[in-house]
Amino acid sequence: MFRTELAVVGAGPAGLSAALAASECGVDTLIVDNGSTPGGQLVKQTHKFFGSKAEHAGTRGIHIARLLAGELQRSPQVEYWSESTALGYYEDQVLLVEREGRAHAVHCDALVVATGAAERHMVFPGNDLPGVYGAGAVQTLMNVHGVKPGERVLIVGAGNIGLIVSYQLLQAGVRVAAVVEASRYIGGYAVHASKLRRLSVPILTSHTVKEAHGHEQVERATVWQIDETFTGVPGTEIEFEVDVICLAVGLSPVTDLLCQIGCKMKYVPELGGYVPIRNENMQTTRSEVFVAGDASGVEEGSSAMLTGRLAGYAAAAYLGKCPDFQNKRAECQRALDALRAGPSGQKVRAGLSVVVSMEAGTC
Amino acid sequence: MTRADVIIVGGGIMGCSIAYHLARRGMRRVVVLERSHIASGATGRCGAGVRMQWGTKPNCLVMKESIRILEGLEQELSYPHGIGFKQKGYLFLAHSKAQLIQFQKNVQLQNSLGIPSEIVSPKDMKRIAPLLDTTGVVGGSYCSKDGHCDPFHTTRAYALAATRLGATLLQYTELQSVTKSAEGTFKLTTSAGEIEAPVLVNAAGAWSGYVASMLGVNLPVYSERHQILVTEQVERVLDPMIISLHEGLYCQQTPDGSFIMGLGDPNEPKGLDQGHSWQFLFAVSKKISRLLPDITGVRILRQWSGLYNMSPDRQAVLGAVDDVPGLYVACGFSGHGFMMAPAVSESMADIILGNTPRVAIDVYGLDRFKNGNLFYEPAVV
Repeated sequence: MFRTELAVVGAGPAGLSAALAASECGVDTLIVDNGSTPGGQLVKQTHKFFGSKAEHAGTRGIHIARLLAGELQRSPQVEYWSESTALGYYEDQVLLVEREGRAHAVHCDALVVATGAAERHMVFPGNDLPGVYGAGAVQTLMNVHGVKPGERVLIVGAGNIGLIVSYQLLQAGVRVAAVVEASRYIGGYAVHASKLRRLSVPILTSHTVKEAHGHEQVERATVWQIDETFTGVPGTEIEFEVDVICLAVGLSPVTDLLCQIGCKMKYVPELGGYVPIRNENMQTTRSEVFVAGDASGVEEGSSAMLTGRLAGYAAAAYLGKCPDFQNKRAECQRALDALRAGPSGQKVRAGLSVVVSMEAGTC
Repeated sequence: MTRADVIIVGGGIMGCSIAYHLARRGMRRVVVLERSHIASGATGRCGAGVRMQWGTKPNCLVMKESIRILEGLEQELSYPHGIGFKQKGYLFLAHSKAQLIQFQKNVQLQNSLGIPSEIVSPKDMKRIAPLLDTTGVVGGSYCSKDGHCDPFHTTRAYALAATRLGATLLQYTELQSVTKSAEGTFKLTTSAGEIEAPVLVNAAGAWSGYVASMLGVNLPVYSERHQILVTEQVERVLDPMIISLHEGLYCQQTPDGSFIMGLGDPNEPKGLDQGHSWQFLFAVSKKISRLLPDITGVRILRQWSGLYNMSPDRQAVLGAVDDVPGLYVACGFSGHGFMMAPAVSESMADIILGNTPRVAIDVYGLDRFKNGNLFYEPAVV
């Protein structure tokens, strides 16, 4: 049996930050991640981050991944298992991990779950045709593997991801036929939307994809207008000759492991779906289990790093190894509050107000 | 206060099938109380095997009848989705001479009751299950008419048929307390209000001892955790259910291609804990890799546990509770309730209505614990 003080599941921005914070406090830490390189979704984020300098504002996601991975390598107290899958966590505080084709029992005194989020799919005729992609898959193809997903793309969803992927496609020489958005408003930042408009990509609000057509793969897409009840309006159909339909319709927290552990969950639409009840220190209803990043509610990379750091310090405090916890906690919280301030953070704030609860343990 | 003619506590296979038979026999207001959803207890967690190969006469007769019923159950219950009944056999492995002698006795008994089982050599076994590693196996017994049945579909088939006949199924309704009035009526307080009936059937599986205790009845049963796992679906390579009493292991490949396997472990906790352990995964993987080396690389999809409701002789406890008129019990199946339900439920309904059942079940009565007529079942994992 492998023993560690802290096990962290997920080596994305949240998991890496949690591991680095805990190791800074002298906690022996094991990170388990199913990817081949550390960084999670950062490794495909070629755009520059916003926010404050402490969360690497102005730096591209791929470079943040390298920075965090570099810190990880320099920290002797962190062990990192790549291409390893957390299978389950048991009553006797054992995390079962699949690595190199074998199951390994890992005993830990505390656990941080930073499993991120998964893309949502959409229901429409033809949605199983080759050529219908999630936006994350398109980013992985282009930005990690250098492969163009197709020649002409219809983007579904005008949130930040939809807008950023559109721009990245254009940069890669792929044509973007249009961006359709079911809501009446563009959800993403104006700065991203403006870039697309300057390149004459139409953004059609109150529109959605009706059907994908094609034999072996996507050849065409039908888009139509939708009314206030999100019902399609017949007669408003528009046809687009495209070979890719890219769905950027939101993310759901990946919480399978938390559910399996038996952490108390709550459905919070503002946070993307089921998320664990936790206290302000990211501690779940199971006292040795902490949550960080999108698994605790869908936000973005900067807040993932901050909730990760907070969870890492909190886990260290739980293990009696973070004497300065209150100050560190306050510092993380201040930065998080700044990120979540203003109208764009309203949804997240509303979600957090119902899920951060003293029902969860206290450190 | 809602009035019923009979209230059945427990929406597993037993409760739902008893409800069906009572409704079919003309009982008007049949109510099934289920704390969660149907088949949420041991029924939906079991290994899904059905077999006639037993070591005691009553179990052989009950299971012979159950399998006969299962052969025509989809038609009987007009269930269009299929109950997944597939007769691909059960193969018991003997790892010692003594075990083989016991199997020979069992087969003799089974044959005398018209059950088409047979003693097989390791060579025969390789023919029946080519992937089986027979190292250390001296022989076994086999019955080609044993097999697999889907617990969810079967329970649902009974539940739907019962409700079509007028029975009421109250899911997500928890029994909170029960008292018996001077007039002999059971008054139940549930999470959905009060309900009363002159007849109460305790089919609460692992919780049957607890339900009985609400009426001051002490049933000689206890519950015990058993773990089980299911693998990913692969090409069909194994027909029969393989049972090794020596290893305490059972394994079958279901019609959809996934393997279901479990272990009898004497160290499992007694009580109502339905958790599970990683140690089980390691233990079962090790054992199955010896018996079926070719499936070593198949991935485990899911694990869970269920509760056996155990009786002192590992035999069901069925029939009237003499001290409390109107109270009936169907519990203590010791891990085999799902397969026994088709025949047992029919007999239970007949006993409740004062008819003579086609398959006698009086030997399973509670009185055996008073007069010492226990009859141990040797063929249990």
